Amino acid sequence: MERQSGNGKIGAVLVVGGGIGGIQAALDLAESGYYVYLLEKSPSIGGVMAQLDKTFPTNDCSMCILSPKLVEAGRHLNIQLITNAELEEVSGEEGSFRVKILKKPRYIDIEKCTGCGLCAQSDFSNPKEREEEIWVDRVVIDEANCIQCGECTLACLEENPENHAMTNIALERRNFTELLPEQRGGREPETLAQRVALMDEESRKNFWQRELSRCIKCFGCRDVCPVWIYDGAELEDPEWIKPGEIPPSVPLFQIIRAYRIANLCVNCGMCEEACPMDIPLRTIHQLMWRQAPESVFEMIPGLDRKTKQKLIQKVKEKPKVKTEITR
Amino acid sequence: MKCDFVLTVCPFCGCGCQFYLEVMDGELTEVLPCKTDEISEGKLCVKGRRAADFVSHPDRLKSPLIKRNGRFEPVSWGEALDIVSRQLSKVKQKHGPDSIGILSSAKCTNEENFLLMKFARAIIGTNNIDHCARLCHASTVVGLVKAFGSGAMTNSVPEIEGADCIFVIGSNTMEQHPLISTRVMRAKEKGARLIVADPRCTPLVGFADVHLQHRPGTDVALINGLMHVIIRDGLEDKEFIRDRTEGFEELEKKIRQYPPEKVSQITGVDVVTLEEAARLYGQAKKASILYAMGITQHTTGTENVLSVANLAMLTGNVSRESTGVNPLRGQNNVQGACDMGALPDVYSGYQRVKDKEARAKFEKAWGVKLPQEPGLTATEMTDAAINGSLKAMYIMGENPALSDPDIDHLKKALSSLDFLVVQDIFLSEAAQFAHVVLPACSFAEKEGTFTATDRRVQRVRKAIEPIGDSKPDWVIVSELAGRIGGTQFNYTSPREIMEEIASLTPSYAGISYQRLDNGKVLAWPCLSEEHPGTRFLHRDAFTRGKGRFFAVDYREPAELPDKDYPLILTTGRLMFQYHTGTMTRRIPMLERELPTGSVEINPKDAKNLSISQGEMVKVKSRRGEIEIRARITKEILPGVVFIPFHFAECPANKLTSRHLDPEAKIPEFKVCAVKVYKG
Repeated sequence: MERQSGNGKIGAVLVVGGGIGGIQAALDLAESGYYVYLLEKSPSIGGVMAQLDKTFPTNDCSMCILSPKLVEAGRHLNIQLITNAELEEVSGEEGSFRVKILKKPRYIDIEKCTGCGLCAQSDFSNPKEREEEIWVDRVVIDEANCIQCGECTLACLEENPENHAMTNIALERRNFTELLPEQRGGREPETLAQRVALMDEESRKNFWQRELSRCIKCFGCRDVCPVWIYDGAELEDPEWIKPGEIPPSVPLFQIIRAYRIANLCVNCGMCEEACPMDIPLRTIHQLMWRQAPESVFEMIPGLDRKTKQKLIQKVKEKPKVKTEITR
Repeated sequence: MKCDFVLTVCPFCGCGCQFYLEVMDGELTEVLPCKTDEISEGKLCVKGRRAADFVSHPDRLKSPLIKRNGRFEPVSWGEALDIVSRQLSKVKQKHGPDSIGILSSAKCTNEENFLLMKFARAIIGTNNIDHCARLCHASTVVGLVKAFGSGAMTNSVPEIEGADCIFVIGSNTMEQHPLISTRVMRAKEKGARLIVADPRCTPLVGFADVHLQHRPGTDVALINGLMHVIIRDGLEDKEFIRDRTEGFEELEKKIRQYPPEKVSQITGVDVVTLEEAARLYGQAKKASILYAMGITQHTTGTENVLSVANLAMLTGNVSRESTGVNPLRGQNNVQGACDMGALPDVYSGYQRVKDKEARAKFEKAWGVKLPQEPGLTATEMTDAAINGSLKAMYIMGENPALSDPDIDHLKKALSSLDFLVVQDIFLSEAAQFAHVVLPACSFAEKEGTFTATDRRVQRVRKAIEPIGDSKPDWVIVSELAGRIGGTQFNYTSPREIMEEIASLTPSYAGISYQRLDNGKVLAWPCLSEEHPGTRFLHRDAFTRGKGRFFAVDYREPAELPDKDYPLILTTGRLMFQYHTGTMTRRIPMLERELPTGSVEINPKDAKNLSISQGEMVKVKSRRGEIEIRARITKEILPGVVFIPFHFAECPANKLTSRHLDPEAKIPEFKVCAVKVYKG
C-alpha cells in the first residue's frame, strides 16, 4: 500500500463484502478520491441482491439497479476487486491498518476467460442433469466437489486451444511432471502422484514395494468401492493371485483392482479410507487415468513382461476398461 | 422392507473393532465399518468384514441334542435341561462338587462369563472354572500381576501411534491383530524405530529396523542380553528404578551373567544385531513393547513375561503415554472372561478366592457358602478326567478338542467323562464327545459387553432373533441354575447382570449400560459412576505399589530336538483363519483363501529330507502323527518347522506337548520336538 500521504496515513480503503452495500460504498469512496480494495468471499461480487426480483418500495427490477454498479465497480480505476478471498486478521491503527487476506485458488485464469460458459455445460458439471451439484462455474472450480474428471478443461481447450483459461489442477499437475527440472521454475511437486512420476525407476519400485507390501488382503478397498461391478474376477482367481498369501502379489493385486475400476472411479476415496494399512490407493488410480498401460507399469514397476502382456490383454478384452488416454 | 444398522463389536481378535451389522427384514446382510470408532476408524480386516457370514450358516445348531446309542437326536429344551440338571446334581451328590469341571468362554460376553462363574461357585460349589486364557495369556496374568500388580495391557491401542520405538516380540501383529499393526505402521511413518523378535519372518519383519531371529524358547536369554547391553552402556533410567521399583540389585547381578557373546550362543542372534536392538530400545524416549503367544506359550511363560516387564521398568518405559508392556489378547473377550473371574483362583476383578474378605463379600451377595481352595485349571482338568477324579464337565463355547495340546490325550479325557455338556453355536470337535449339546446364540443374537485387549469395555447389541431354537448363553445358564435349585438367577436382561458385576467388582464399578450406550469409551479400572476410565495403568504408582524386578534365569524348553526328533515345531495362527475354525471355516471367502494347513520348512531342511514344494509329508512327535502339505520357505529358521493349529484335518495340536509352566499352567505350544518325513 504505497499510497501514503505526508501525515503517515494511507489514502486507501478496504471494503469488506462485495454485496450491494459494499459496492456502493466502494464506488462512493472511489469517486471521492480514495483507492479502494473491495474484498469478497465468493468468486464474484454482487451478493444477494442479484438474486432478487423486485426491490422495495419502488418495485424496480433489482438487476436494473445492480448491474450498472457492477460494471462500474469492475471498471473503476480506483477500485481493485479481490474476490474469492477472505479477511484473516486486521492490525495497526486508524489511518494505517495492515490486513492479512487469504486468497483461495480459482483454477481459472480470469484474464483469459472469455465467459463462453462451455465449461459449465460439460457432462458432469451440467446443473440441469445434476441439480444443486454444480462443480464448475464460469469463474471458479469448486474444489470440494470437483471430481477431477477434466471435462471442463477439455471444453475450454476446444473453444480456445491457443489461449485456454481453465487451469484444471489435475491437468496442471500432470503437465508439471512432464517438465524438465530446469523448466519447473523451482516449484516442488505437490501431490504423491507427481512425486511418484518424478522418481527414478529404482526408488519408484522401492516406494511401491514398501507401500503395497503392507496390504493384508482385507478386500476392503474392493468391498467399499461404489463402482466395483465384477464378482471377484481375477482377484479371487488363483491363476492371477495366489490365495492365502500376505501381502498378496505385489503389485499385481492392486493393479488389477485399479484397472477394473479405471473408467468408473469417481475418486470418492472410500478405498483409501477403508484401507487398514493406509496405502495410497487413489494415487494408483490417478496414474492409471493418465497413463497408457505400458507407462502405468513403468509408474508402478515390479511385474514381469509376461504378466504385463497377459494383463494388458485381459484388460483390453473388456470394452468397459480404459486402455489409452482419451484426451 | 425394513433395514436396520446395529452397532456391535467384532467377534474375532482382541482389537475390539466396532462395526455395524446391516439387517434387512431380520436377516444379516453385511458388515459395515464404523468410521467414528476409535480403534478401527472405519477400517476392518478380512475376518471382520466377513463376520456376518457364519451367523446364519446351515450348520448352526438349532435345537438341543442328546446322544443316544452313539447318535445325536434333537430334543426339547425342557428335556435337555432336565437331563443336564439331573446328571450334574447326581455327580455332585455322588462324587462331590469338585468332580465337576467347567470351561467358560472367551467368545461369550462378560455377563455370560460372570454368570457361569457364579453358576460354578454358587450352584455347583466348585472353583473348577477356567477358560482358554489358560492356553494363551495365563502367564501374562500371573507374571504381570507379580511385577506390576495388574495383568493386563498397560496402555491403550491408539497410544501405540505415538511411540518412538516399538519392540514386538513373539507377536505376528500384522496377521493376528491387523488393526493394531495399523498403529505400528503409523508410528513407523512418523519415524519410530521397529524391533521385531520372532523366529519366523512374519509380515511385520519386512518393516523392522532390526529383526532378532532367535531360536524358539530362548526369550529369557534374549531379553537378559538386551538388558545387559542397556546397563553396560548406561541407558537405564536410574531415577525410575530408584523411585518406582524394587529388587534391582538382584536383577543387576543376574544380568551380568548374560554378556552378548553368551546370549548370541544361546539364541542364535549375532552380537551386533543384539546390541543395536538394545540401543534402539534403550535410547528411545517412549518405547512400547507388544507381545503375544511367542512369549507366553512356553514352560517358561511366566519367566518370559517377567523378563519383558524387567526390560520396560529398567528403561522407565511404563506408566507413561505411548509406552508400556502390552500383551495383545487373542480373543474378542478373553480379557473380559479373565476380568469376570472365569479362573480357578479369582473372582471377578481378580479378587482372590483365598482372600477371606473377598469371599465373604461374594458369599453375602449370593447368599451361599463358597469353596475356599482354588480349583483346577483347564490343563489340569484333562489329567483329572483321565485319572478319574473329574467326572463331569460343562463346556461353554470352547473347542478344546482342537485347541488343547496333545489332543489325543484330551479326547481320551473327554471320552472318559461320565457326563459332558457342550454349549456352542456349531457342532464342534469337542461337541462330538458330548452327551448333551445345547445350542447357543452367536454374537449377533444377544446383548452384552466385550472387553477388548486394552481393557476397553464395549457394547454388543442384538441384531437378529436367535437362529432356530438357540438361546443366548446367559439364558441357558440362568435356566439351568434355576432347575438345579438356584434362586439367585432371575435375570431379565444382561443389563441386570452388569449391575451385579459393577456392585461386586471394584474395577468395573463405574461401568453401566447407560454410560456405554451414551458413547462413553470406558477402559477399566473405572471406579465410580463419574470415573472416566483409565487409558494407561500405573500412572503415579504401580497397582502393587512399587514395580518389582525379578531376576530370571534362562531355562531350556521342556522338549528339545534330539536324534529321533531333530526339528523344533512351533505353532500359531494365520491371517485367514481363526483359532479352531468353528466360525471362519464356515465363511466361504476365508475358506477359499486358506482351505487347509501346511507345514512351513526351511529350504535347507527340505533339501536334506528331499521334500519338494507342496508335497504331502508326515510330521511326527512323541504324541502323534499328522499328514500335511509342505510349504518350503526361507521365512523360517533351519531346524524349525511351523504348523497352524486351525485345521482339524491336520491338527498341529496332535503333536504338541503337555509340558506346563509350573506357575501359570500354560502348555508349551511353541516348542516341541518333531521329525518330518515322506510317507
